[in-house]
Amino acid sequence: MSEPVLTVESLVKRFGGLTALDGVDLTVEPGEFRAIIGPNGAGKSTFFNALTGLLPPDSGRIAFSGHDITGEAPHRVARRGIARTFQITSVFGDLTAVENVQVALIAHARRSWSAWQRARGLGAARAHELLDLVGLASSAARPAATLSHGDQKRLELAIALAGEPQLLLLDEPTAGMAAQERLESIQLVHRIAIELGLSCVFTEHDMAVVFAVATRITVLHQGRVLAEGSPAEVRARPEVQQVYLGEAA
Amino acid sequence: MNHAAPLAAGLALVALPLVLPDFWMFIGVEVLAFALYAVSFNLLLGYGGMLSFGHAAFFGAGGYAAALVAAQRSLPLPLMLVLVPAAAMLTAGAAAVLIGLFSVRRAGIYFAMLTFAFQMLLYTIALKATSLTGGDDGLTGLKLPGAIGRPVGYYYFALALTAAGLYVLHRLVHSPFGATLRALRANALRVQYLGVDVRAHRLAAFVASGAFSGLAGALFALSSGNVFPGWLNWTASATPVVMAVLGGTATFFGPALGAAVYVVLEVVISGHTEYWPLTMGVVITILVLLAPGGLTGLWKTGFGRARASRAVPLSTGEAR
Repeated sequence: MSEPVLTVESLVKRFGGLTALDGVDLTVEPGEFRAIIGPNGAGKSTFFNALTGLLPPDSGRIAFSGHDITGEAPHRVARRGIARTFQITSVFGDLTAVENVQVALIAHARRSWSAWQRARGLGAARAHELLDLVGLASSAARPAATLSHGDQKRLELAIALAGEPQLLLLDEPTAGMAAQERLESIQLVHRIAIELGLSCVFTEHDMAVVFAVATRITVLHQGRVLAEGSPAEVRARPEVQQVYLGEAA
Repeated sequence: MNHAAPLAAGLALVALPLVLPDFWMFIGVEVLAFALYAVSFNLLLGYGGMLSFGHAAFFGAGGYAAALVAAQRSLPLPLMLVLVPAAAMLTAGAAAVLIGLFSVRRAGIYFAMLTFAFQMLLYTIALKATSLTGGDDGLTGLKLPGAIGRPVGYYYFALALTAAGLYVLHRLVHSPFGATLRALRANALRVQYLGVDVRAHRLAAFVASGAFSGLAGALFALSSGNVFPGWLNWTASATPVVMAVLGGTATFFGPALGAAVYVVLEVVISGHTEYWPLTMGVVITILVLLAPGGLTGLWKTGFGRARASRAVPLSTGEAR
Protein backbone atom coordinates (compact mmCIF):
# COMPACT_ATOMS: atom_id res chain seq x y z
CA MET A 1 0.00 0.00 0.00
CA SER A 2 1.38 3.37 -0.94
CA GLU A 3 2.16 6.03 1.62
CA PRO A 4 -0.45 8.75 2.19
CA VAL A 5 0.37 12.11 0.61
CA LEU A 6 -0.87 13.97 3.65
CA THR A 7 -1.39 12.79 7.20
CA VAL A 8 -2.80 15.15 9.81
CA GLU A 9 -3.12 13.97 13.40
CA SER A 10 -5.02 15.75 16.18
CA LEU A 11 -4.38 19.23 14.82
CA VAL A 12 -5.27 21.96 17.30
CA LYS A 13 -5.23 25.73 16.72
CA ARG A 14 -6.50 28.23 19.25
CA PHE A 15 -6.97 31.99 18.98
CA GLY A 16 -7.15 33.21 22.56
CA GLY A 17 -10.25 31.54 23.99
CA LEU A 18 -11.50 30.33 20.61
CA THR A 19 -10.53 26.84 19.50
CA ALA A 20 -10.59 27.09 15.72
CA LEU A 21 -9.27 23.58 15.12
CA ASP A 22 -10.11 21.07 17.81
CA GLY A 23 -8.18 17.89 17.02
CA VAL A 24 -8.54 17.47 13.27
CA ASP A 25 -7.42 14.15 11.72
CA LEU A 26 -7.11 13.74 7.97
CA THR A 27 -5.41 11.27 5.65
CA VAL A 28 -5.16 11.94 1.94
CA GLU A 29 -4.11 9.08 -0.35
CA PRO A 30 -2.26 9.68 -3.64
CA GLY A 31 -4.55 10.74 -6.46
CA GLU A 32 -7.39 11.69 -4.15
CA PHE A 33 -9.62 14.66 -4.87
CA ARG A 34 -10.72 15.58 -1.38
CA ALA A 35 -13.39 18.13 -0.61
CA ILE A 36 -13.56 19.80 2.78
CA ILE A 37 -16.96 21.25 3.42
CA GLY A 38 -18.56 22.96 6.36
CA PRO A 39 -20.41 26.11 7.23
CA ASN A 40 -18.64 29.47 7.47
CA GLY A 41 -16.43 29.52 10.53
CA ALA A 42 -16.03 25.74 10.55
CA GLY A 43 -12.26 26.18 10.40
CA LYS A 44 -11.59 25.41 6.73
CA SER A 45 -9.30 28.35 5.98
CA THR A 46 -7.61 28.05 9.36
CA PHE A 47 -6.98 24.41 8.54
CA PHE A 48 -5.19 25.34 5.30
CA ASN A 49 -3.21 28.05 7.05
CA ALA A 50 -2.16 25.65 9.81
CA LEU A 51 -1.21 22.97 7.27
CA THR A 52 1.04 25.31 5.33
CA GLY A 53 2.84 26.97 8.21
CA LEU A 54 1.16 30.36 8.09
CA LEU A 55 -0.42 29.69 11.48
CA PRO A 56 1.76 27.25 13.43
CA PRO A 57 -0.57 24.76 15.18
CA ASP A 58 -0.70 24.59 18.98
CA SER A 59 -0.47 20.81 18.91
CA GLY A 60 -0.80 17.89 16.55
CA ARG A 61 1.29 16.56 13.71
CA ILE A 62 1.36 17.10 9.95
CA ALA A 63 3.24 14.77 7.62
CA PHE A 64 3.66 15.24 3.88
CA SER A 65 4.75 12.09 2.01
CA GLY A 66 6.11 10.75 5.28
CA HIS A 67 8.07 13.90 6.25
CA ASP A 68 7.05 15.77 9.37
CA ILE A 69 6.31 19.35 8.28
CA THR A 70 4.57 20.54 11.46
CA GLY A 71 5.28 24.23 12.03
CA GLU A 72 7.55 24.65 9.00
CA ALA A 73 7.49 28.13 7.41
CA PRO A 74 5.25 28.53 4.32
CA HIS A 75 8.17 28.83 1.89
CA ARG A 76 9.66 25.55 3.13
CA VAL A 77 6.30 23.79 2.92
CA ALA A 78 5.95 25.09 -0.64
CA ARG A 79 9.40 23.79 -1.60
CA ARG A 80 8.42 20.32 -0.43
CA GLY A 81 5.76 20.18 -3.14
CA ILE A 82 2.60 21.63 -1.65
CA ALA A 83 1.02 24.42 -3.68
CA ARG A 84 -1.95 26.44 -2.55
CA THR A 85 -4.36 28.99 -3.87
CA PHE A 86 -6.27 31.55 -1.86
CA GLN A 87 -9.89 32.34 -1.21
CA ILE A 88 -9.17 35.92 -2.27
CA THR A 89 -7.63 35.70 -5.71
CA SER A 90 -3.90 36.26 -5.42
CA VAL A 91 -2.13 37.10 -8.63
CA PHE A 92 0.51 39.75 -9.27
CA GLY A 93 -1.74 42.41 -10.73
CA ASP A 94 0.80 44.65 -12.45
CA LEU A 95 2.76 41.80 -14.03
CA THR A 96 1.43 40.20 -17.21
CA ALA A 97 -0.07 36.72 -17.06
CA VAL A 98 3.05 35.10 -18.48
CA GLU A 99 5.27 37.05 -16.06
CA ASN A 100 3.16 35.81 -13.17
CA VAL A 101 4.01 32.26 -14.17
CA GLN A 102 7.66 33.16 -14.91
CA VAL A 103 8.09 34.45 -11.36
CA ALA A 104 6.71 31.18 -10.03
CA LEU A 105 9.09 29.23 -12.28
CA ILE A 106 12.02 31.36 -11.12
CA ALA A 107 11.12 30.60 -7.50
CA HIS A 108 10.72 26.90 -8.22
CA ALA A 109 14.13 26.75 -9.94
CA ARG A 110 15.64 28.54 -6.88
CA ARG A 111 16.80 31.34 -9.17
CA SER A 112 15.23 34.15 -7.16
CA TRP A 113 18.66 35.06 -5.76
CA SER A 114 20.18 35.46 -9.19
CA ALA A 115 20.78 39.21 -9.35
CA TRP A 116 22.87 39.63 -12.48
CA GLN A 117 21.32 37.44 -15.15
CA ARG A 118 18.47 38.83 -17.27
CA ALA A 119 15.01 37.69 -16.23
CA ARG A 120 13.58 38.57 -19.62
CA GLY A 121 12.29 35.45 -21.32
CA LEU A 122 13.47 33.21 -18.49
CA GLY A 123 11.21 30.16 -18.44
CA ALA A 124 8.94 31.86 -20.97
CA ALA A 125 8.42 28.71 -23.03
CA ARG A 126 7.35 26.66 -20.01
CA ALA A 127 5.21 29.56 -18.77
CA HIS A 128 3.33 29.65 -22.08
CA GLU A 129 2.80 25.87 -21.86
CA LEU A 130 1.25 26.26 -18.42
CA LEU A 131 -0.97 29.11 -19.58
CA ASP A 132 -2.05 26.93 -22.48
CA LEU A 133 -2.86 24.11 -20.05
CA VAL A 134 -5.27 26.31 -18.09
CA GLY A 135 -6.71 27.91 -21.24
CA LEU A 136 -5.11 31.32 -20.93
CA ALA A 137 -2.73 31.19 -23.90
CA SER A 138 -4.38 34.13 -25.63
CA SER A 139 -4.16 36.37 -22.55
CA ALA A 140 -0.43 35.80 -21.90
CA ALA A 141 0.60 39.40 -22.50
CA ARG A 142 -2.18 41.04 -20.51
CA PRO A 143 -1.54 42.52 -17.08
CA ALA A 144 -3.07 40.10 -14.58
CA ALA A 145 -5.18 42.84 -13.01
CA THR A 146 -7.09 43.27 -16.28
CA LEU A 147 -8.14 39.60 -16.48
CA SER A 148 -11.67 38.55 -15.50
CA HIS A 149 -12.16 37.00 -12.09
CA GLY A 150 -12.44 33.52 -13.57
CA ASP A 151 -9.30 33.99 -15.63
CA GLN A 152 -7.41 35.20 -12.57
CA LYS A 153 -8.40 31.96 -10.86
CA ARG A 154 -7.03 30.04 -13.85
CA LEU A 155 -3.85 32.06 -13.67
CA GLU A 156 -3.54 31.20 -10.00
CA LEU A 157 -3.77 27.56 -10.95
CA ALA A 158 -0.98 28.00 -13.53
CA ILE A 159 1.16 29.72 -10.89
CA ALA A 160 0.53 26.85 -8.49
CA LEU A 161 1.39 24.26 -11.15
CA ALA A 162 4.68 26.00 -11.97
CA GLY A 163 6.07 24.64 -8.71
CA GLU A 164 5.50 21.04 -9.90
CA PRO A 165 3.61 20.20 -6.71
CA GLN A 166 2.42 16.77 -5.63
CA LEU A 167 -0.39 18.22 -3.56
CA LEU A 168 -2.70 21.09 -4.46
CA LEU A 169 -4.57 22.92 -1.72
CA LEU A 170 -7.35 25.05 -3.19
CA ASP A 171 -9.19 27.38 -0.85
CA GLU A 172 -12.64 27.92 -2.37
CA PRO A 173 -11.46 27.69 -5.98
CA THR A 174 -14.86 28.71 -7.38
CA ALA A 175 -15.67 31.56 -4.99
CA GLY A 176 -17.23 34.53 -6.75
CA MET A 177 -18.09 32.66 -9.96
CA ALA A 178 -21.42 32.10 -11.66
CA ALA A 179 -22.90 28.59 -11.24
CA GLN A 180 -21.99 27.34 -14.73
CA GLU A 181 -18.49 28.80 -14.55
CA ARG A 182 -17.93 27.04 -11.21
CA LEU A 183 -18.46 23.60 -12.66
CA GLU A 184 -16.26 24.30 -15.68
CA SER A 185 -13.57 25.68 -13.42
CA ILE A 186 -13.44 22.73 -11.03
CA GLN A 187 -13.58 20.28 -13.93
CA LEU A 188 -10.54 21.98 -15.42
CA VAL A 189 -8.64 21.53 -12.16
CA HIS A 190 -9.86 17.95 -11.95
CA ARG A 191 -8.74 17.11 -15.48
CA ILE A 192 -5.31 18.67 -14.94
CA ALA A 193 -4.83 16.96 -11.58
CA ILE A 194 -5.55 13.57 -13.14
CA GLU A 195 -3.31 14.35 -16.11
CA LEU A 196 -0.40 15.32 -13.86
CA GLY A 197 -1.08 12.73 -11.17
CA LEU A 198 -1.65 15.29 -8.43
CA SER A 199 -3.56 14.90 -5.22
CA CYS A 200 -5.89 17.71 -4.34
CA VAL A 201 -7.63 19.02 -1.25
CA PHE A 202 -10.17 21.78 -1.76
CA THR A 203 -12.70 23.67 0.31
CA GLU A 204 -16.00 24.48 -1.31
CA HIS A 205 -19.47 25.76 -0.53
CA ASP A 206 -21.22 24.73 -3.73
CA MET A 207 -22.46 21.14 -3.34
CA ALA A 208 -22.88 20.68 -7.08
CA VAL A 209 -19.17 21.38 -7.47
CA VAL A 210 -18.26 19.07 -4.59
CA PHE A 211 -20.31 16.13 -5.84
CA ALA A 212 -19.06 16.62 -9.40
CA VAL A 213 -15.42 15.87 -8.63
CA ALA A 214 -14.74 14.82 -5.02
CA THR A 215 -13.54 11.28 -4.41
CA ARG A 216 -13.96 11.72 -0.67
CA ILE A 217 -15.53 14.40 1.49
CA THR A 218 -14.59 15.62 4.95
CA VAL A 219 -17.15 17.67 6.86
CA LEU A 220 -15.73 20.19 9.33
CA HIS A 221 -17.95 21.68 11.97
CA GLN A 222 -16.77 23.94 14.78
CA GLY A 223 -13.17 22.87 14.30
CA ARG A 224 -13.88 19.13 14.39
CA VAL A 225 -14.35 16.45 11.75
CA LEU A 226 -18.07 15.78 11.82
CA ALA A 227 -18.06 13.15 9.12
CA GLU A 228 -15.86 11.67 6.41
CA GLY A 229 -16.52 9.29 3.57
CA SER A 230 -17.42 8.88 -0.07
CA PRO A 231 -19.85 11.45 -1.48
CA ALA A 232 -22.71 8.98 -1.22
CA GLU A 233 -21.90 8.13 2.40
CA VAL A 234 -21.58 11.77 3.44
CA ARG A 235 -24.78 12.73 1.69
CA ALA A 236 -26.64 10.01 3.61
CA ARG A 237 -25.48 11.05 7.09
CA PRO A 238 -28.34 12.69 8.99
CA GLU A 239 -26.11 14.94 11.11
CA VAL A 240 -24.45 16.27 7.97
CA GLN A 241 -27.78 17.07 6.42
CA GLN A 242 -28.77 18.84 9.58
CA VAL A 243 -25.61 20.91 9.92
CA TYR A 244 -24.74 21.65 6.38
CA LEU A 245 -26.57 20.19 3.45
CA GLY A 246 -29.98 21.24 4.69
CA GLU A 247 -28.69 24.72 5.21
CA ALA A 248 -27.19 24.90 1.74
CA ALA A 249 -30.29 23.63 -0.04
CA MET B 1 14.73 47.77 -24.75
CA ASN B 2 15.23 51.43 -25.40
CA HIS B 3 18.89 52.32 -24.88
CA ALA B 4 18.78 55.61 -26.74
CA ALA B 5 17.70 57.96 -23.96
CA PRO B 6 20.16 56.78 -21.29
CA LEU B 7 22.97 56.70 -23.90
CA ALA B 8 22.24 60.24 -25.02
CA ALA B 9 22.07 61.41 -21.41
CA GLY B 10 25.39 59.67 -20.70
CA LEU B 11 27.13 61.33 -23.66
CA ALA B 12 25.74 64.72 -22.65
CA LEU B 13 27.05 64.22 -19.11
CA VAL B 14 30.53 63.31 -20.42
CA ALA B 15 30.57 66.45 -22.60
CA LEU B 16 29.24 68.74 -19.88
CA PRO B 17 32.62 70.06 -18.58
CA LEU B 18 33.43 71.29 -22.10
CA VAL B 19 30.54 73.73 -22.08
CA LEU B 20 29.88 74.63 -18.45
CA PRO B 21 32.01 76.56 -15.90
CA ASP B 22 33.40 75.02 -12.70
CA PHE B 23 30.45 76.15 -10.57
CA TRP B 24 28.21 73.88 -12.59
CA MET B 25 30.57 70.94 -11.98
CA PHE B 26 29.57 71.07 -8.31
CA ILE B 27 25.92 71.11 -9.34
CA GLY B 28 26.64 68.26 -11.76
CA VAL B 29 28.10 66.13 -8.97
CA GLU B 30 25.12 66.94 -6.79
CA VAL B 31 22.77 65.80 -9.55
CA LEU B 32 24.77 62.58 -10.03
CA ALA B 33 24.94 61.79 -6.31
CA PHE B 34 21.26 62.43 -5.73
CA ALA B 35 20.30 60.56 -8.90
CA LEU B 36 22.12 57.49 -7.58
CA TYR B 37 20.56 58.07 -4.16
CA ALA B 38 17.01 58.35 -5.54
CA VAL B 39 17.38 55.29 -7.81
CA SER B 40 18.79 53.23 -4.90
CA PHE B 41 15.91 54.39 -2.73
CA ASN B 42 13.43 53.47 -5.46
CA LEU B 43 14.76 49.91 -5.56
CA LEU B 44 12.78 49.61 -2.32
CA LEU B 45 9.80 51.84 -3.05
CA GLY B 46 9.15 51.29 -6.74
CA TYR B 47 10.22 47.66 -7.05
CA GLY B 48 9.94 46.21 -3.55
CA GLY B 49 6.97 48.26 -2.37
CA MET B 50 8.80 49.30 0.81
CA LEU B 51 8.69 52.96 1.85
CA SER B 52 11.85 53.62 3.86
CA PHE B 53 11.71 56.77 5.88
CA GLY B 54 15.23 56.46 7.17
CA HIS B 55 17.37 56.45 4.07
CA ALA B 56 19.27 59.54 5.16
CA ALA B 57 21.02 57.22 7.62
CA PHE B 58 22.75 55.42 4.75
CA PHE B 59 23.50 58.53 2.72
CA GLY B 60 24.99 60.12 5.85
CA ALA B 61 26.91 57.01 6.92
CA GLY B 62 28.49 56.87 3.46
CA GLY B 63 29.37 60.56 3.71
CA TYR B 64 31.11 60.13 7.07
CA ALA B 65 32.95 57.00 5.93
CA ALA B 66 34.26 58.82 2.84
CA ALA B 67 35.26 61.81 4.98
CA LEU B 68 37.25 59.64 7.38
CA VAL B 69 39.08 57.91 4.51
CA ALA B 70 39.78 61.20 2.72
CA ALA B 71 41.28 62.58 5.93
CA GLN B 72 44.07 59.98 5.75
CA ARG B 73 46.45 62.19 3.81
CA SER B 74 49.24 59.60 3.83
CA LEU B 75 47.28 57.12 1.70
CA PRO B 76 48.48 56.78 -1.89
CA LEU B 77 45.92 58.26 -4.32
CA PRO B 78 44.98 55.06 -6.20
CA LEU B 79 44.31 53.29 -2.90
CA MET B 80 42.22 56.21 -1.70
CA LEU B 81 40.14 56.18 -4.89
CA VAL B 82 39.29 52.55 -4.18
CA LEU B 83 38.88 52.93 -0.44
CA VAL B 84 36.48 55.89 -0.55
CA PRO B 85 33.66 54.08 -2.37
CA ALA B 86 34.44 50.75 -0.71
CA ALA B 87 34.36 52.19 2.82
CA ALA B 88 31.19 54.16 2.10
CA MET B 89 29.35 51.14 0.70
CA LEU B 90 30.56 48.80 3.43
CA THR B 91 29.64 51.21 6.22
CA ALA B 92 26.21 52.01 4.81
CA GLY B 93 25.68 48.35 3.88
CA ALA B 94 26.57 47.21 7.40
CA ALA B 95 24.18 49.79 8.86
CA ALA B 96 21.52 48.50 6.45
CA VAL B 97 22.08 44.91 7.61
CA LEU B 98 21.55 45.91 11.25
CA ILE B 99 18.56 48.16 10.59
CA GLY B 100 17.10 45.82 7.98
CA LEU B 101 17.21 42.75 10.25
CA PHE B 102 14.62 44.45 12.43
CA SER B 103 12.75 46.58 9.92
CA VAL B 104 11.95 44.08 7.14
CA ARG B 105 10.04 41.96 9.63
CA ARG B 106 7.25 44.52 9.29
CA ALA B 107 5.56 46.05 6.25
CA GLY B 108 3.89 49.33 5.36
CA ILE B 109 3.81 52.12 7.90
CA TYR B 110 5.47 49.95 10.57
CA PHE B 111 8.43 49.35 8.30
CA ALA B 112 8.62 53.11 7.65
CA MET B 113 8.50 53.87 11.38
CA LEU B 114 11.23 51.36 12.20
CA THR B 115 13.58 52.79 9.57
CA PHE B 116 12.73 56.26 10.90
CA ALA B 117 13.58 55.25 14.48
CA PHE B 118 16.91 53.64 13.58
CA GLN B 119 17.88 56.67 11.53
CA MET B 120 17.35 58.91 14.57
CA LEU B 121 19.61 56.56 16.51
CA LEU B 122 22.38 57.00 13.93
CA TYR B 123 21.72 60.75 13.87
CA THR B 124 22.32 60.87 17.62
CA ILE B 125 25.55 58.91 17.24
CA ALA B 126 26.75 61.33 14.54
CA LEU B 127 25.92 64.20 16.87
CA LYS B 128 27.47 62.78 20.04
CA ALA B 129 30.49 60.74 18.91
CA THR B 130 32.49 63.95 18.66
CA SER B 131 35.95 62.36 18.43
CA LEU B 132 34.93 60.44 15.31
CA THR B 133 32.37 62.70 13.64
CA GLY B 134 33.25 66.18 14.89
CA GLY B 135 29.86 66.36 16.60
CA ASP B 136 27.75 69.38 15.77
CA ASP B 137 30.54 70.93 13.67
CA GLY B 138 30.68 67.94 11.34
CA LEU B 139 33.73 67.17 9.24
CA THR B 140 34.89 69.90 6.90
CA GLY B 141 37.63 70.67 4.40
CA LEU B 142 37.14 67.33 2.64
CA LYS B 143 38.74 66.98 -0.73
CA LEU B 144 40.53 64.37 -2.76
CA PRO B 145 44.18 65.26 -3.46
CA GLY B 146 45.56 66.35 -6.85
CA ALA B 147 43.73 66.77 -10.14
CA ILE B 148 40.90 64.47 -9.10
CA GLY B 149 40.09 66.89 -6.30
CA ARG B 150 39.55 69.74 -8.75
CA PRO B 151 36.00 70.37 -10.01
CA VAL B 152 36.30 68.76 -13.45
CA GLY B 153 38.42 65.83 -12.24
CA TYR B 154 36.06 65.10 -9.40
CA TYR B 155 33.06 65.40 -11.71
CA TYR B 156 34.45 62.59 -13.88
CA PHE B 157 35.24 60.51 -10.79
CA ALA B 158 31.63 60.92 -9.62
CA LEU B 159 30.27 60.28 -13.12
CA ALA B 160 32.20 57.01 -13.40
CA LEU B 161 31.03 55.74 -10.01
CA THR B 162 27.43 56.86 -10.56
CA ALA B 163 27.35 55.13 -13.94
CA ALA B 164 28.77 51.95 -12.41
CA GLY B 165 26.26 52.10 -9.56
CA LEU B 166 23.30 52.67 -11.89
CA TYR B 167 24.48 49.84 -14.13
CA VAL B 168 24.59 47.39 -11.21
CA LEU B 169 21.16 48.52 -9.98
CA HIS B 170 19.76 48.24 -13.50
CA ARG B 171 21.00 44.65 -13.77
CA LEU B 172 19.54 43.97 -10.35
CA VAL B 173 16.00 45.15 -11.12
CA HIS B 174 15.91 43.28 -14.42
CA SER B 175 17.23 40.05 -12.91
CA PRO B 176 15.22 37.15 -11.48
CA PHE B 177 15.82 38.76 -8.08
CA GLY B 178 14.27 41.99 -9.36
CA ALA B 179 11.30 40.12 -10.83
CA THR B 180 10.76 38.38 -7.50
CA LEU B 181 10.94 41.75 -5.77
CA ARG B 182 8.22 43.17 -8.02
CA ALA B 183 5.99 40.16 -7.39
CA LEU B 184 6.62 40.64 -3.71
CA ARG B 185 5.39 44.21 -3.88
CA ALA B 186 2.14 42.98 -5.45
CA ASN B 187 1.54 40.11 -3.03
CA ALA B 188 4.18 39.03 -0.51
CA LEU B 189 2.14 36.13 0.85
CA ARG B 190 1.70 34.65 -2.61
CA VAL B 191 5.46 34.89 -3.20
CA GLN B 192 6.13 33.12 0.06
CA TYR B 193 3.92 30.27 -1.11
CA LEU B 194 6.06 29.97 -4.22
CA GLY B 195 8.85 28.82 -1.92
CA VAL B 196 10.62 32.17 -1.57
CA ASP B 197 12.02 33.37 1.75
CA VAL B 198 10.37 36.78 1.57
CA ARG B 199 12.11 38.30 4.56
CA ALA B 200 15.58 37.38 3.27
CA HIS B 201 14.83 38.89 -0.15
CA ARG B 202 13.53 42.08 1.43
CA LEU B 203 16.66 42.30 3.56
CA ALA B 204 18.91 41.82 0.53
CA ALA B 205 17.11 44.59 -1.34
CA PHE B 206 17.36 46.83 1.71
CA VAL B 207 21.11 46.25 2.03
CA ALA B 208 21.76 46.83 -1.68
CA SER B 209 19.71 50.02 -1.52
CA GLY B 210 21.52 51.16 1.62
CA ALA B 211 24.99 50.45 0.22
CA PHE B 212 24.39 52.45 -2.99
CA SER B 213 22.81 55.28 -0.99
CA GLY B 214 26.05 55.29 1.01
CA LEU B 215 28.08 55.57 -2.19
CA ALA B 216 25.89 58.53 -3.19
CA GLY B 217 26.55 60.16 0.18
CA ALA B 218 30.30 59.71 -0.28
CA LEU B 219 30.24 61.30 -3.73
CA PHE B 220 28.35 64.31 -2.43
CA ALA B 221 30.49 64.71 0.73
CA LEU B 222 33.77 64.95 -1.18
CA SER B 223 32.25 67.50 -3.55
CA SER B 224 30.57 69.75 -1.01
CA GLY B 225 33.67 69.39 1.17
CA ASN B 226 31.82 68.66 4.37
CA VAL B 227 29.43 66.34 6.12
CA PHE B 228 27.15 67.28 9.03
CA PRO B 229 24.94 65.33 11.46
CA GLY B 230 21.97 67.03 9.80
CA TRP B 231 22.56 64.75 6.80
CA LEU B 232 21.18 61.94 8.96
CA ASN B 233 18.31 63.93 10.39
CA TRP B 234 14.80 62.74 9.61
CA THR B 235 13.97 65.74 7.44
CA ALA B 236 16.77 64.65 5.09
CA SER B 237 14.98 61.33 4.56
CA ALA B 238 12.20 63.11 2.71
CA THR B 239 14.57 64.17 -0.08
CA PRO B 240 14.81 60.80 -1.90
CA VAL B 241 11.06 60.26 -1.44
CA VAL B 242 10.27 63.57 -3.13
CA MET B 243 12.80 62.99 -5.92
CA ALA B 244 11.53 59.47 -6.65
CA VAL B 245 7.87 60.47 -6.65
CA LEU B 246 8.60 63.58 -8.70
CA GLY B 247 10.44 61.59 -11.38
CA GLY B 248 8.16 58.54 -11.26
CA THR B 249 8.59 55.40 -9.20
CA ALA B 250 7.37 53.07 -11.94
CA THR B 251 10.47 53.45 -14.10
CA PHE B 252 14.13 52.81 -13.42
CA PHE B 253 15.43 56.24 -14.49
CA GLY B 254 12.43 58.22 -13.22
CA PRO B 255 13.93 58.96 -9.80
CA ALA B 256 17.21 60.05 -11.45
CA LEU B 257 15.29 62.54 -13.57
CA GLY B 258 13.42 63.64 -10.45
CA ALA B 259 16.75 64.22 -8.68
CA ALA B 260 18.11 66.28 -11.58
CA VAL B 261 14.98 68.45 -11.75
CA TYR B 262 14.95 68.90 -7.97
CA VAL B 263 18.62 69.89 -7.70
CA VAL B 264 18.61 72.25 -10.69
CA LEU B 265 15.33 73.85 -9.60
CA GLU B 266 16.79 74.43 -6.18
CA VAL B 267 19.90 76.10 -7.64
CA VAL B 268 17.94 78.27 -10.04
CA ILE B 269 15.24 79.30 -7.57
CA SER B 270 17.58 79.94 -4.64
CA GLY B 271 19.56 82.26 -6.94
CA HIS B 272 16.50 84.47 -7.30
CA THR B 273 14.70 84.43 -3.98
CA GLU B 274 15.41 83.67 -0.36
CA TYR B 275 11.96 82.07 -0.23
CA TRP B 276 13.21 79.18 -2.35
CA PRO B 277 11.79 76.38 -0.14
CA LEU B 278 8.33 77.92 -0.51
CA THR B 279 8.76 78.27 -4.26
CA MET B 280 10.08 74.69 -4.51
CA GLY B 281 7.06 73.47 -2.59
CA VAL B 282 4.68 75.18 -4.98
CA VAL B 283 6.52 73.95 -8.08
CA ILE B 284 6.65 70.35 -6.81
CA THR B 285 2.98 70.43 -5.82
CA ILE B 286 2.02 71.55 -9.31
CA LEU B 287 4.24 68.93 -10.96
CA VAL B 288 2.85 66.11 -8.81
CA LEU B 289 -0.75 67.23 -9.44
CA LEU B 290 -0.19 67.42 -13.19
CA ALA B 291 1.76 64.19 -13.36
CA PRO B 292 0.63 61.77 -10.65
CA GLY B 293 2.79 59.04 -12.20
CA GLY B 294 5.82 61.32 -12.02
CA LEU B 295 7.59 63.05 -14.89
CA THR B 296 8.44 59.76 -16.61
CA GLY B 297 4.82 58.69 -16.23
CA LEU B 298 3.84 61.78 -18.16
CA TRP B 299 6.30 60.97 -20.88
CA LYS B 300 5.12 57.37 -21.11
CA THR B 301 1.42 58.04 -21.35
CA GLY B 302 1.04 61.60 -22.51
CA PHE B 303 -1.64 63.98 -21.27
CA GLY B 304 -5.21 62.83 -21.40
CA ARG B 305 -4.46 59.29 -22.55
CA ALA B 306 -5.32 56.37 -20.33
CA ARG B 307 -2.57 55.56 -17.87
CA ALA B 308 -0.58 52.56 -18.99
CA SER B 309 0.13 49.76 -16.56
CA ARG B 310 2.74 50.54 -13.94
CA ALA B 311 4.48 47.38 -14.97
CA VAL B 312 8.03 47.29 -16.20
CA PRO B 313 7.52 44.17 -18.30
CA LEU B 314 9.64 41.16 -17.54
CA SER B 315 9.28 39.74 -21.00
CA THR B 316 10.03 42.73 -23.12
CA GLY B 317 12.51 44.66 -21.03
CA GLU B 318 11.92 48.18 -19.82
CA ALA B 319 8.78 49.99 -20.80
CA ARG B 320 9.39 52.75 -23.26
